[in-house]
Amino acid sequence: MLANVFTKTTRDRWIGTAIAGGAVSLYLLMGAAIYRDMDLSIYTDMPEVMRSLMGIPQGADVASMAYSVILGFIGAITLASLALSMGSASIAGEERDGTLGLLLGNPKPRTAVLVSKAGSMVFLIGMAVLLLWGGGIAVPVLLNFDTGGLFLEAIIFHLFINAILYGFMAMMIGAWTGDRTKASGITVGVMVLSYFAVGLLPLIEGASDLARFFPWYYFDSSDPVMNGVNWGHIGVLVGLSAAFAIAAVIGLNRRDLREQAIGVTLLDRLRNQPMTKKVVDRLAGSTRVARIWIKTLSEYQGMLIITGYTMFLMMGVLMGPLYNFMDEALITFSESAPEALMAMVGNADLATPEGWYQTETFSLMGPAAVMLVAATIGAKALAGEEEKRTMGLLLANPIKRSTVLFEKTIAMLWAAMITGFLTFAGVALGALVGGLDMSMGNIAATCVLMTLLGLVFGATALALSAATGRVKVATYGVIGLALVFWLLNTMLPLSDGLAGYAKWSPFYYFLGSDPLVNGMHWGHLGILAAIVAALVALAVVLFNGRDIRENG
Amino acid sequence: MTATAAIETRQLTKHYGDVEALRDLDLRVEPGEVFGFLGPNGAGKTTMIRTVLDLIRPTSGSASILGHDSHDDAVEIRNHIGYLPSDVAMYQNLTGRDTLTYFANLRGGVDWDGVRDLADRLDADLDKKIGDLSSGNRQKVGLIQAFMNEPDLLIMDEPSSGLDPLVQREFQKMMREVAAEGRTVFLSSHTLSEVQRIADRVGIIRHGVLIAVEEVASLRSKAIRRVDLQFDTPVDGSAFAIIPGVRDVTVENHHVTLSFDGHMDELLAVATGRFTLQDISTQEADLEEIFLTYYRDEESVA
Repeated sequence: MLANVFTKTTRDRWIGTAIAGGAVSLYLLMGAAIYRDMDLSIYTDMPEVMRSLMGIPQGADVASMAYSVILGFIGAITLASLALSMGSASIAGEERDGTLGLLLGNPKPRTAVLVSKAGSMVFLIGMAVLLLWGGGIAVPVLLNFDTGGLFLEAIIFHLFINAILYGFMAMMIGAWTGDRTKASGITVGVMVLSYFAVGLLPLIEGASDLARFFPWYYFDSSDPVMNGVNWGHIGVLVGLSAAFAIAAVIGLNRRDLREQAIGVTLLDRLRNQPMTKKVVDRLAGSTRVARIWIKTLSEYQGMLIITGYTMFLMMGVLMGPLYNFMDEALITFSESAPEALMAMVGNADLATPEGWYQTETFSLMGPAAVMLVAATIGAKALAGEEEKRTMGLLLANPIKRSTVLFEKTIAMLWAAMITGFLTFAGVALGALVGGLDMSMGNIAATCVLMTLLGLVFGATALALSAATGRVKVATYGVIGLALVFWLLNTMLPLSDGLAGYAKWSPFYYFLGSDPLVNGMHWGHLGILAAIVAALVALAVVLFNGRDIRENG
Repeated sequence: MTATAAIETRQLTKHYGDVEALRDLDLRVEPGEVFGFLGPNGAGKTTMIRTVLDLIRPTSGSASILGHDSHDDAVEIRNHIGYLPSDVAMYQNLTGRDTLTYFANLRGGVDWDGVRDLADRLDADLDKKIGDLSSGNRQKVGLIQAFMNEPDLLIMDEPSSGLDPLVQREFQKMMREVAAEGRTVFLSSHTLSEVQRIADRVGIIRHGVLIAVEEVASLRSKAIRRVDLQFDTPVDGSAFAIIPGVRDVTVENHHVTLSFDGHMDELLAVATGRFTLQDISTQEADLEEIFLTYYRDEESVA
């Protein structure tokens, strides 16, 4: 183990770990507070499919709900994602950045570097787990509920071992391929697949034993909250992790290291084919670089395709027919659900198609998708070019700084509009396929408001990016603001005295007027559009008045 | 003052917090000259360039380029300049040709025959992605980018880094051609041999202060010489250090080396009067030594 590699890796990563651990603990507090106030029978009466997926034990009370759902589900996914991101960054990440060669230029064996990175990952996940443990002890005390008969330490321990399994898996793939995207992509795929398999397979007659082939089975099928540590299952997880770790060492040592290199895309291949060269050259070459905004937008095509696909197909088209399957259960659900829970999904009446789409598509995923694309472009638009040190070259051309900023804004507008439009197309199609009687105009109005809401946060990211030139500040700043405003809009209406203050949150102007039912609220549209315009104008002023950063 | 200066700075000062990166810089670069801006790393060369390009703003003082105010007329100025940043970074996922097309679109009026000609001269590969190029080959794309609009003023920050000697020679020829057409080249460097070969004048900067502006020719004629003295017995260097005009005395047994710009007879009087001189060789100092000499003087004043 190399102490300095361990220390550096830990130092680079501890903030994210602390945030993740702290956030899940906070979520535990919030969730437990909501559970305490509601009739839990809606959870225990839920169809077994959903209960099984959410890991809700039969006959659950506040404490077991909080521990199983928040720690056992949200906590487990969060920590496993954290671990796999560290695992994939450890070798493949440094390789992509071109720093691994430098690191291995020192007289230290590859194995030692890998072991140090692994040590740092295990250590950090351990720290996050300790935070969760603290939260698990503190929350029942704060909210004054009883946790007798539950095994907090057991679920925490299972969480820890489960998370590092995915960390080692990502590390192994990264060590063999040197490809960070592959490492995290495959591991996420395995994690999600195994999570669903373990939740769903037991419900299928005769297939329940198949769940044993998926690692998630050894995390929670033994219900550690209720039954304590299952050492047999832990043994399986530890054994697998060890196998991944050994495979990582072998993979790293036998392979040629990659130089810092640019991936070859499908377009590049087509560009080298004589048959397609001319057309693709146009598309990938001269057209792409014709304007700043086109080039900017082209850099985010992957993100746009994924969010657009998700919103169109999963959140749009599929939700229509699904409504027909669900409607009976939904009516009971919406009648018994507590106010707090309903507030989170925008107080929709789940028994109507509008309420269904509002809950499933528009309350969270839709605005989150537009926010993701708009804020990513907003945050990277200016600060990204500064951190990659291309801004100086760009501004050496006879164009104003404000022109650069406006062009970047156009790219952001397009990205948000494409996502908004695909959501509209998906929902409209879903409503048609499902035979739901919904107004197309109202769907369009809702999507327009959603797009504008996303742009409010995109423009916020742009302004932060323009003010600081730092992608991280813009990203974390906008995530923080979005969470605060979302919570304001969700929680304030629960209290009669404070309900009016929800108008201070931009989220209010999205669903506050119930556009799916009532159609466009032009006043709200105007307010959102004005906020976007004001933020862009602010960004111009901030960007014009500042020194361009030289170093990333 | 006759023609409009290519670059003129007046009391240009830039602070980063407490750090003074530039102090009261007064510099005038004439049109049609190749001006070398010399200084070690961290002296303020890049800060000066970024300030006159309006990428960063001066704390006080002002600058004008080709008669235009560097801040108020920033866009107009950029119509007439080519810029190569130090350690140039470009879009990794674009090919060289895409990159040049991008900037040409932003700029307008780029002659593609000229670009092809530049690429040939520098032996640049425009079909590869920038991210797959070595730093020298990336530098070539950066150079073409700076030259391609035939600018009235070329501002280049450490332009030769990573170029092989053959390409360096071609690049120097290109700079001389620019100057011959009455256009101006401003290049910063810490490699003096390069500047010595191509620059008409040099400015020397250290710790943010311009300590000298000299014609390369007159720098040479300062007649600083490198003198090697060989004696039959070990000698004491202090005897030489006190002679007016002697600097940098190093003694190795029988061998004394020093820089000298005083009267040769005084040196010889000491060398032959107190010791037995076996051999003497002198040569004209290169800019490197002149440069170091300037530094040493500054330091001793400070």
